[in-house]
Amino acid sequence: VTRPHLEPERHGVGFWIAVAIGGGVIVFGIRGAVHAARATGPTDFFAWVIAADLLHDLVIAPVVCAAGFVLTRLLPERWRTPVRSGLIISALVVIVGWTGLRGYGRDRVPDNPTVQPLDYRTALLTVLAVVWIAVVLWGLLRMRASRRVRRG
Amino acid sequence: MSARLDPRRIQGRFTSPLHDERVAAVLGIALGVTFTVCFFTGLWSHLVQSPPSWFSRPPRPAGLYRVTQGVHVATGLATIPLLLAKLWVVYPKLFAWPPFRSVAVAVERVALLPLIGGGLFLVGTGLANINLWYPWPFSFRTAHYWAAWITIGALIIHVGAKWSSTRNALSRDSKPHDADSPGARADRRAFLGTIGAASVLITLTTVGQTVGPLRRLAMLAPRRPDTGPQGFPINRTARTAGVLVAAQGHKYRLIVTGAVARELSLTRDELAALPQHETTLPIACVEGWSASPRWRGVQVRELLARAGVVGGAAVRVESLQRRRAYRTSMLEPAETRDPDTLLALEVDAEPLHIDHGYPVRLIGPNRPGVLQTKWVTRLVVL
Repeated sequence: VTRPHLEPERHGVGFWIAVAIGGGVIVFGIRGAVHAARATGPTDFFAWVIAADLLHDLVIAPVVCAAGFVLTRLLPERWRTPVRSGLIISALVVIVGWTGLRGYGRDRVPDNPTVQPLDYRTALLTVLAVVWIAVVLWGLLRMRASRRVRRG
Repeated sequence: MSARLDPRRIQGRFTSPLHDERVAAVLGIALGVTFTVCFFTGLWSHLVQSPPSWFSRPPRPAGLYRVTQGVHVATGLATIPLLLAKLWVVYPKLFAWPPFRSVAVAVERVALLPLIGGGLFLVGTGLANINLWYPWPFSFRTAHYWAAWITIGALIIHVGAKWSSTRNALSRDSKPHDADSPGARADRRAFLGTIGAASVLITLTTVGQTVGPLRRLAMLAPRRPDTGPQGFPINRTARTAGVLVAAQGHKYRLIVTGAVARELSLTRDELAALPQHETTLPIACVEGWSASPRWRGVQVRELLARAGVVGGAAVRVESLQRRRAYRTSMLEPAETRDPDTLLALEVDAEPLHIDHGYPVRLIGPNRPGVLQTKWVTRLVVL
């Protein structure tokens, strides 16, 4: 059995002090959310917080793992890291640009052209083009380096 | 149970060298910094928007809110890559078996629910909010605020749990583990570099919404400070606010009332005939954009003096808007005394556009944009 890369923790007195302080702050936050019930709608609020957790653990992380699994089997070794980096950056940029691209927000205030005023489709395509040009250059450099190593 | 699904074996099936204690430690420290920065700048924003009795909003430095809120939004955006990367790196730990080896581990793991749920909730709702998109049934501001307390509490517990292991992971003499080949090390460096690059790229393509020199790069920013009538954005149009008729009608008056020696009632022309004061002040929105045009109008302290109010006084500024949360805003005594607190009639040498608050709007130093009340019709001295 290989040692796991992620070690378990040891918990000392410092941990229990942090639990006391942090626990108090959490209780303060939960109380605040419940007291502000009319504005927060505490059931909805807590449902959204827990849903964020579940969305990550049950959807986002498995999808990313599946992508990694496919990637390591499809790509030649020299290309794995550049392509992985390209995919990571692309996904993150799309997350940030998605609302603008879809016009969520702008469609709420159709008489206000200053909300999401830009051409987000072109912007995203531009950023992605730059990212993938960098990926290809990086991959080519790695191939050249490995050829040199092989030649000796 | 088949060996594949044996819960004791799942964690070991994650074979990528990126699921690593040092990568987790580096990302953890970065997240500790960004969450702390966002927490305190957010707390500050909350304080200046709704000051409790023990806090008085300082009118100086005039551009402080622009900086703190710009930092809040930019840091929140830069956190997205860090947070998702960190969650992926430590994902195998979700399958640790047995799940609770001790009471301490149980407490630590239970605290991960508010930490991860709260962290994702904060960046998710924040990202939607800067786009003015509200796909949930609760108030953004209230929910974001209380979620921040819950998350920061969970972060304190998490830091307590990880303090020594983070130090160990990053210390020079930490022993490389079995899977630590040079290739694995290069892989981890490339991964951290990629996450850093993603944060930088997201910052570069959005931060121009408040940092002028980077404006042209801000192609993913939800707002651009150079768009809109008279060259800067608006959050609520006159039409949406329902003030088109009242703001442009001949019945418009500015009333100065409340605890005054004599009540004032002025038309826009009468306001324009009073001594005018000019100043450059930022309009800095809670959503993270800002612009800094030149305003011209009547000092609030001048109006108060004409109404027989001496010294600073607290003033409630009321808009022509009929409803909604930001119909009124408060000026504190230090703000009404400030020479740059104006009822502006002009911006960049033109009469205010109706969407910017024609006939007059409030503009004051170091106030969040939502408190720069537009279509002002009453000053009530308290």
